[in-house]
Amino acid sequence: MKLAVVGKGGSGKTTTSSVIARTMARQGKSVVALDCDSNPNLGISLGIGDEETERLVSMRQALDEGEEEHASTWDKVIDRYGSDGPDGVRLAVVSRIDNPEPG
Amino acid sequence: MKVAFVGKGGAGKSAIAGTFARALARRGTAVLAVDSDPLPGLALSIGLESDEAPIPDDAVVERQQGEEGPRFRLRPGLEAAEAVERYAVTGPDGVRFLQFGKAREGGPQLFRSQLAFLQIVRKLPTESWNVIGDLPGGTRQAFTGWGSFAETVLIVVEPTAQSMLSGRRLARMAELDEGPQRVVAVVSKAREPGDAELVSRRTGLEVVATIPWDEALADAERKGLAPIDAAPHCPAVEAVQSLTDVLVEEMVR
Repeated sequence: MKLAVVGKGGSGKTTTSSVIARTMARQGKSVVALDCDSNPNLGISLGIGDEETERLVSMRQALDEGEEEHASTWDKVIDRYGSDGPDGVRLAVVSRIDNPEPG
Repeated sequence: MKVAFVGKGGAGKSAIAGTFARALARRGTAVLAVDSDPLPGLALSIGLESDEAPIPDDAVVERQQGEEGPRFRLRPGLEAAEAVERYAVTGPDGVRFLQFGKAREGGPQLFRSQLAFLQIVRKLPTESWNVIGDLPGGTRQAFTGWGSFAETVLIVVEPTAQSMLSGRRLARMAELDEGPQRVVAVVSKAREPGDAELVSRRTGLEVVATIPWDEALADAERKGLAPIDAAPHCPAVEAVQSLTDVLVEEMVR
Protein backbone atom coordinates (compact mmCIF):
# COMPACT_ATOMS: atom_id res chain seq x y z
CA MET A 1 0.00 0.00 0.00
CA LYS A 2 0.99 3.64 -0.48
CA LEU A 3 -0.22 6.17 2.06
CA ALA A 4 0.18 9.95 2.16
CA VAL A 5 -0.49 11.89 5.36
CA VAL A 6 -1.45 15.55 4.87
CA GLY A 7 -2.84 18.40 7.01
CA LYS A 8 -2.17 21.81 8.51
CA GLY A 9 1.21 22.51 10.10
CA GLY A 10 1.52 21.22 13.64
CA SER A 11 -1.57 19.01 13.45
CA GLY A 12 0.43 15.81 13.92
CA LYS A 13 1.23 14.54 10.41
CA THR A 14 4.79 13.53 11.22
CA THR A 15 3.92 11.79 14.47
CA THR A 16 1.03 9.93 12.82
CA SER A 17 3.18 8.85 9.87
CA SER A 18 5.97 7.61 12.09
CA VAL A 19 3.69 5.45 14.22
CA ILE A 20 2.02 3.97 11.12
CA ALA A 21 5.43 3.21 9.59
CA ARG A 22 6.84 1.60 12.74
CA THR A 23 3.65 -0.42 13.35
CA MET A 24 3.60 -1.78 9.80
CA ALA A 25 7.29 -2.64 9.97
CA ARG A 26 6.68 -4.58 13.19
CA GLN A 27 4.07 -6.60 11.33
CA GLY A 28 6.86 -7.71 9.03
CA LYS A 29 6.09 -5.44 6.11
CA SER A 30 8.81 -3.72 4.16
CA VAL A 31 8.34 0.01 4.78
CA VAL A 32 9.84 3.10 3.16
CA ALA A 33 9.04 6.30 5.03
CA LEU A 34 9.31 9.29 2.67
CA ASP A 35 9.69 12.69 4.24
CA CYS A 36 8.20 15.07 1.67
CA ASP A 37 8.42 18.14 3.92
CA SER A 38 10.95 20.74 2.76
CA ASN A 39 11.74 21.14 6.48
CA PRO A 40 12.19 17.42 7.13
CA ASN A 41 11.99 16.00 10.65
CA LEU A 42 10.29 12.63 10.26
CA GLY A 43 13.58 11.04 11.37
CA ILE A 44 13.16 12.39 14.88
CA SER A 45 9.68 10.88 15.24
CA LEU A 46 10.85 7.55 13.77
CA GLY A 47 13.55 7.45 16.41
CA ILE A 48 16.81 7.93 14.49
CA GLY A 49 17.70 11.06 16.45
CA ASP A 50 18.13 14.65 15.33
CA GLU A 51 21.79 14.40 14.36
CA GLU A 52 21.13 11.60 11.85
CA THR A 53 17.99 13.42 10.67
CA GLU A 54 20.10 16.49 9.98
CA ARG A 55 22.83 14.44 8.26
CA LEU A 56 20.54 12.81 5.69
CA VAL A 57 21.08 14.10 2.16
CA SER A 58 17.84 14.78 0.33
CA MET A 59 17.28 12.85 -2.88
CA ARG A 60 16.67 16.03 -4.85
CA GLN A 61 19.98 17.45 -3.63
CA ALA A 62 21.77 14.21 -4.59
CA LEU A 63 20.23 14.20 -8.08
CA ASP A 64 20.83 17.93 -8.62
CA GLU A 65 24.47 17.61 -7.69
CA GLY A 66 24.85 14.75 -10.14
CA GLU A 67 25.84 12.27 -7.48
CA GLU A 68 23.37 9.82 -8.95
CA GLU A 69 23.18 8.72 -12.59
CA HIS A 70 20.09 9.98 -14.32
CA ALA A 71 18.94 6.46 -15.18
CA SER A 72 19.13 5.23 -11.63
CA THR A 73 15.98 3.70 -10.18
CA TRP A 74 14.18 5.02 -7.13
CA ASP A 75 15.07 1.76 -5.34
CA LYS A 76 18.74 2.55 -5.80
CA VAL A 77 18.34 6.16 -4.76
CA ILE A 78 16.53 5.12 -1.58
CA ASP A 79 19.17 2.45 -0.91
CA ARG A 80 21.94 4.93 -1.26
CA TYR A 81 20.57 8.04 0.42
CA GLY A 82 18.11 6.56 2.86
CA SER A 83 18.81 5.63 6.44
CA ASP A 84 17.71 2.61 8.46
CA GLY A 85 15.52 3.36 11.43
CA PRO A 86 14.18 1.20 14.25
CA ASP A 87 12.06 -1.85 13.27
CA GLY A 88 13.75 -1.73 9.85
CA VAL A 89 11.88 1.30 8.52
CA ARG A 90 13.88 2.83 5.66
CA LEU A 91 13.74 6.63 5.75
CA ALA A 92 14.40 8.85 2.75
CA VAL A 93 14.12 12.63 2.43
CA VAL A 94 12.75 14.08 -0.82
CA SER A 95 13.93 17.67 -0.66
CA ARG A 96 15.21 20.22 1.79
CA ILE A 97 15.06 24.02 1.65
CA ASP A 98 17.23 25.75 4.22
CA ASN A 99 20.26 26.88 2.29
CA PRO A 100 20.93 30.62 2.49
CA GLU A 101 23.16 30.49 -0.61
CA PRO A 102 21.18 31.45 -3.72
CA GLY A 103 20.76 28.83 -6.45
CA MET B 1 9.25 48.14 12.57
CA LYS B 2 9.01 45.29 10.11
CA VAL B 3 9.06 41.84 11.65
CA ALA B 4 8.30 38.34 10.39
CA PHE B 5 7.28 35.37 12.51
CA VAL B 6 8.62 32.05 11.22
CA GLY B 7 8.91 28.57 12.70
CA LYS B 8 7.80 24.99 12.43
CA GLY B 9 4.12 24.36 11.74
CA GLY B 10 2.00 24.50 14.87
CA ALA B 11 4.57 26.36 16.96
CA GLY B 12 2.11 29.19 17.60
CA LYS B 13 3.20 31.76 15.02
CA SER B 14 -0.28 33.01 14.10
CA ALA B 15 -1.53 33.29 17.69
CA ILE B 16 1.60 35.21 18.67
CA ALA B 17 1.70 37.37 15.52
CA GLY B 18 -2.00 38.26 15.78
CA THR B 19 -1.71 39.19 19.44
CA PHE B 20 1.50 41.12 18.76
CA ALA B 21 -0.19 43.11 15.97
CA ARG B 22 -3.14 44.01 18.21
CA ALA B 23 -0.91 45.01 21.14
CA LEU B 24 1.19 47.19 18.85
CA ALA B 25 -1.88 48.86 17.35
CA ARG B 26 -3.14 49.73 20.85
CA ARG B 27 -0.07 51.91 21.24
CA GLY B 28 -1.53 54.10 18.52
CA THR B 29 0.79 53.19 15.66
CA ALA B 30 -0.24 52.08 12.18
CA VAL B 31 -0.03 48.30 11.88
CA LEU B 32 -0.27 46.17 8.77
CA ALA B 33 -0.54 42.46 9.53
CA VAL B 34 0.22 40.23 6.57
CA ASP B 35 -0.46 36.55 6.14
CA SER B 36 1.57 34.86 3.43
CA ASP B 37 0.26 31.39 4.26
CA PRO B 38 -1.85 30.00 1.42
CA LEU B 39 -3.80 28.23 4.18
CA PRO B 40 -4.48 31.38 6.17
CA GLY B 41 -4.95 31.50 9.94
CA LEU B 42 -3.70 34.90 11.06
CA ALA B 43 -7.07 36.64 10.50
CA LEU B 44 -8.70 34.58 13.27
CA SER B 45 -5.93 35.40 15.74
CA ILE B 46 -6.37 39.12 15.04
CA GLY B 47 -10.13 38.82 15.49
CA LEU B 48 -11.21 39.42 11.91
CA GLU B 49 -14.37 37.68 10.83
CA SER B 50 -13.18 37.20 7.28
CA ASP B 51 -9.77 36.62 5.79
CA GLU B 52 -10.85 38.00 2.43
CA ALA B 53 -8.37 40.78 1.73
CA PRO B 54 -7.16 40.11 -1.79
CA ILE B 55 -5.18 42.37 -4.05
CA PRO B 56 -7.41 42.91 -7.14
CA ASP B 57 -6.20 42.10 -10.63
CA ASP B 58 -6.30 45.70 -11.82
CA ALA B 59 -3.73 46.69 -9.18
CA VAL B 60 -1.14 44.57 -10.96
CA VAL B 61 0.50 44.86 -14.36
CA GLU B 62 2.68 42.40 -16.21
CA ARG B 63 6.30 43.27 -17.00
CA GLN B 64 6.70 44.66 -20.51
CA GLN B 65 9.28 43.31 -22.90
CA GLY B 66 12.69 44.81 -22.20
CA GLU B 67 11.86 45.64 -18.58
CA GLU B 68 13.82 44.19 -15.70
CA GLY B 69 12.52 42.73 -12.46
CA PRO B 70 9.72 40.40 -11.46
CA ARG B 71 7.05 39.35 -13.95
CA PHE B 72 4.25 41.17 -12.14
CA ARG B 73 4.35 44.49 -10.35
CA LEU B 74 2.06 47.07 -8.82
CA ARG B 75 0.38 49.31 -11.38
CA PRO B 76 2.66 52.31 -12.09
CA GLY B 77 1.67 55.23 -9.87
CA LEU B 78 0.15 53.01 -7.20
CA GLU B 79 2.29 53.50 -4.09
CA ALA B 80 2.54 50.77 -1.44
CA ALA B 81 0.87 52.96 1.21
CA GLU B 82 -2.02 53.73 -1.14
CA ALA B 83 -2.43 50.04 -1.96
CA VAL B 84 -2.70 49.29 1.77
CA GLU B 85 -5.32 52.03 2.24
CA ARG B 86 -7.32 50.66 -0.65
CA TYR B 87 -7.07 46.91 -0.28
CA ALA B 88 -6.25 46.02 3.33
CA VAL B 89 -9.28 45.34 5.54
CA THR B 90 -9.53 46.99 8.95
CA GLY B 91 -9.72 44.83 12.06
CA PRO B 92 -10.06 45.44 15.81
CA ASP B 93 -7.83 48.19 17.29
CA GLY B 94 -7.41 49.46 13.72
CA VAL B 95 -5.07 46.68 12.61
CA ARG B 96 -4.98 46.54 8.82
CA PHE B 97 -4.79 43.12 7.25
CA LEU B 98 -3.68 41.90 3.84
CA GLN B 99 -3.70 38.33 2.56
CA PHE B 100 -1.41 37.25 -0.21
CA GLY B 101 -3.62 34.81 -2.02
CA LYS B 102 -5.04 31.45 -1.16
CA ALA B 103 -4.05 28.03 -2.39
CA ARG B 104 -7.50 27.31 -3.80
CA GLU B 105 -7.15 30.18 -6.29
CA GLY B 106 -4.04 28.57 -7.71
CA GLY B 107 -2.25 29.24 -10.97
CA PRO B 108 -1.13 32.53 -12.54
CA GLN B 109 -3.76 34.64 -10.72
CA LEU B 110 -2.26 33.62 -7.40
CA PHE B 111 1.29 34.36 -8.53
CA ARG B 112 0.17 37.79 -9.75
CA SER B 113 -1.22 38.85 -6.39
CA GLN B 114 1.68 37.28 -4.48
CA LEU B 115 4.31 39.35 -6.29
CA ALA B 116 2.28 42.52 -5.76
CA PHE B 117 1.92 41.60 -2.11
CA LEU B 118 5.67 41.20 -1.71
CA GLN B 119 6.25 44.59 -3.32
CA ILE B 120 3.78 46.27 -0.98
CA VAL B 121 5.34 44.88 2.19
CA ARG B 122 8.88 45.62 1.02
CA LYS B 123 8.21 49.19 -0.09
CA LEU B 124 5.87 50.32 2.67
CA PRO B 125 7.82 53.04 4.56
CA THR B 126 8.86 52.01 8.09
CA GLU B 127 8.55 55.60 9.33
CA SER B 128 4.78 55.48 9.07
CA TRP B 129 3.98 51.77 9.15
CA ASN B 130 4.69 48.69 11.23
CA VAL B 131 4.51 45.46 9.26
CA ILE B 132 3.89 42.19 11.09
CA GLY B 133 4.29 39.11 8.90
CA ASP B 134 3.16 35.57 9.56
CA LEU B 135 4.97 33.11 7.29
CA PRO B 136 3.78 29.54 6.69
CA GLY B 137 5.32 26.81 8.82
CA GLY B 138 8.66 25.38 7.74
CA THR B 139 11.62 26.72 5.82
CA ARG B 140 10.43 27.10 2.22
CA GLN B 141 9.14 30.71 2.22
CA ALA B 142 11.79 31.79 4.70
CA PHE B 143 14.59 30.77 2.33
CA THR B 144 12.92 31.84 -0.93
CA GLY B 145 12.57 35.55 -0.32
CA TRP B 146 9.08 35.87 1.18
CA GLY B 147 10.42 37.14 4.48
CA SER B 148 12.77 39.65 2.84
CA PHE B 149 10.71 42.65 3.96
CA ALA B 150 11.55 42.05 7.62
CA GLU B 151 14.38 43.75 9.51
CA THR B 152 13.82 41.41 12.44
CA VAL B 153 12.93 37.75 12.10
CA LEU B 154 11.34 36.13 15.14
CA ILE B 155 11.67 32.36 15.09
CA VAL B 156 8.91 30.77 17.15
CA VAL B 157 10.24 27.62 18.78
CA GLU B 158 8.54 25.05 20.97
CA PRO B 159 10.75 23.09 23.35
CA THR B 160 10.46 19.93 21.22
CA ALA B 161 13.24 18.22 19.24
CA GLN B 162 11.40 18.84 15.94
CA SER B 163 10.69 22.50 16.58
CA MET B 164 14.22 23.18 17.82
CA LEU B 165 15.71 21.47 14.74
CA SER B 166 13.53 23.74 12.57
CA GLY B 167 14.68 26.70 14.65
CA ARG B 168 18.32 25.78 14.10
CA ARG B 169 17.75 25.61 10.32
CA LEU B 170 15.81 28.89 10.27
CA ALA B 171 18.59 30.59 12.24
CA ARG B 172 20.59 30.46 8.99
CA MET B 173 18.28 33.17 7.60
CA ALA B 174 20.87 35.52 9.14
CA GLU B 175 23.23 34.43 6.33
CA LEU B 176 20.80 35.33 3.52
CA ASP B 177 21.74 37.99 0.98
CA GLU B 178 19.54 40.98 1.81
CA GLY B 179 18.55 39.04 4.88
CA PRO B 180 17.22 40.38 8.15
CA GLN B 181 19.40 42.53 10.42
CA ARG B 182 18.42 40.45 13.39
CA VAL B 183 17.28 36.85 13.92
CA VAL B 184 16.07 35.89 17.40
CA ALA B 185 13.94 33.22 19.07
CA VAL B 186 10.58 33.40 20.82
CA VAL B 187 9.99 30.33 22.97
CA SER B 188 6.43 29.09 22.66
CA LYS B 189 4.42 26.69 24.86
CA ALA B 190 7.10 26.69 27.57
CA ARG B 191 6.24 24.34 30.43
CA GLU B 192 9.51 23.95 32.33
CA PRO B 193 11.75 26.59 33.91
CA GLY B 194 14.68 25.46 31.74
CA ASP B 195 12.85 25.66 28.40
CA ALA B 196 14.22 29.05 27.34
CA GLU B 197 17.78 27.98 28.08
CA LEU B 198 17.22 24.70 26.22
CA VAL B 199 15.89 26.49 23.11
CA SER B 200 18.75 28.98 23.19
CA ARG B 201 21.35 26.22 23.47
CA ARG B 202 19.84 24.02 20.76
CA THR B 203 19.18 26.77 18.22
CA GLY B 204 22.12 29.05 18.99
CA LEU B 205 19.69 31.99 19.11
CA GLU B 206 19.09 34.77 21.58
CA VAL B 207 15.68 34.30 23.25
CA VAL B 208 13.77 37.60 23.40
CA ALA B 209 10.55 36.26 24.93
CA THR B 210 9.17 33.12 26.53
CA ILE B 211 5.47 32.48 26.03
CA PRO B 212 4.21 29.94 28.56
CA TRP B 213 1.94 27.02 27.69
CA ASP B 214 -1.50 28.42 28.42
CA GLU B 215 -4.78 26.51 28.37
CA ALA B 216 -6.71 29.79 27.94
CA LEU B 217 -4.83 30.50 24.71
CA ALA B 218 -5.39 26.94 23.50
CA ASP B 219 -9.10 27.37 24.22
CA ALA B 220 -9.22 30.61 22.23
CA GLU B 221 -7.62 28.79 19.29
CA ARG B 222 -10.10 25.93 19.61
CA LYS B 223 -12.95 28.43 19.32
CA GLY B 224 -11.31 30.45 16.53
CA LEU B 225 -11.16 33.61 18.66
CA ALA B 226 -8.44 36.23 18.99
CA PRO B 227 -6.49 35.40 22.18
CA ILE B 228 -6.31 39.11 23.12
CA ASP B 229 -10.14 39.24 23.14
CA ALA B 230 -10.94 35.79 24.52
CA ALA B 231 -8.31 35.75 27.28
CA PRO B 232 -6.85 39.26 27.59
CA HIS B 233 -5.16 38.66 30.93
CA CYS B 234 -3.89 35.11 30.45
CA PRO B 235 -0.14 34.60 30.95
CA ALA B 236 0.54 33.85 27.26
CA VAL B 237 -1.14 37.05 26.03
CA GLU B 238 0.65 39.08 28.68
CA ALA B 239 3.97 37.57 27.60
CA VAL B 240 3.30 38.60 23.96
CA GLN B 241 2.41 42.12 25.15
CA SER B 242 5.76 42.27 26.97
CA LEU B 243 7.50 41.17 23.76
CA THR B 244 5.79 44.06 21.97
CA ASP B 245 7.05 46.47 24.66
CA VAL B 246 10.60 45.12 24.37
CA LEU B 247 10.74 45.53 20.59
CA VAL B 248 9.16 49.01 20.67
CA GLU B 249 11.65 50.16 23.32
CA GLU B 250 14.57 48.75 21.31
CA MET B 251 13.31 50.63 18.29
CA VAL B 252 13.19 53.90 20.21
CA ARG B 253 16.79 53.39 21.35
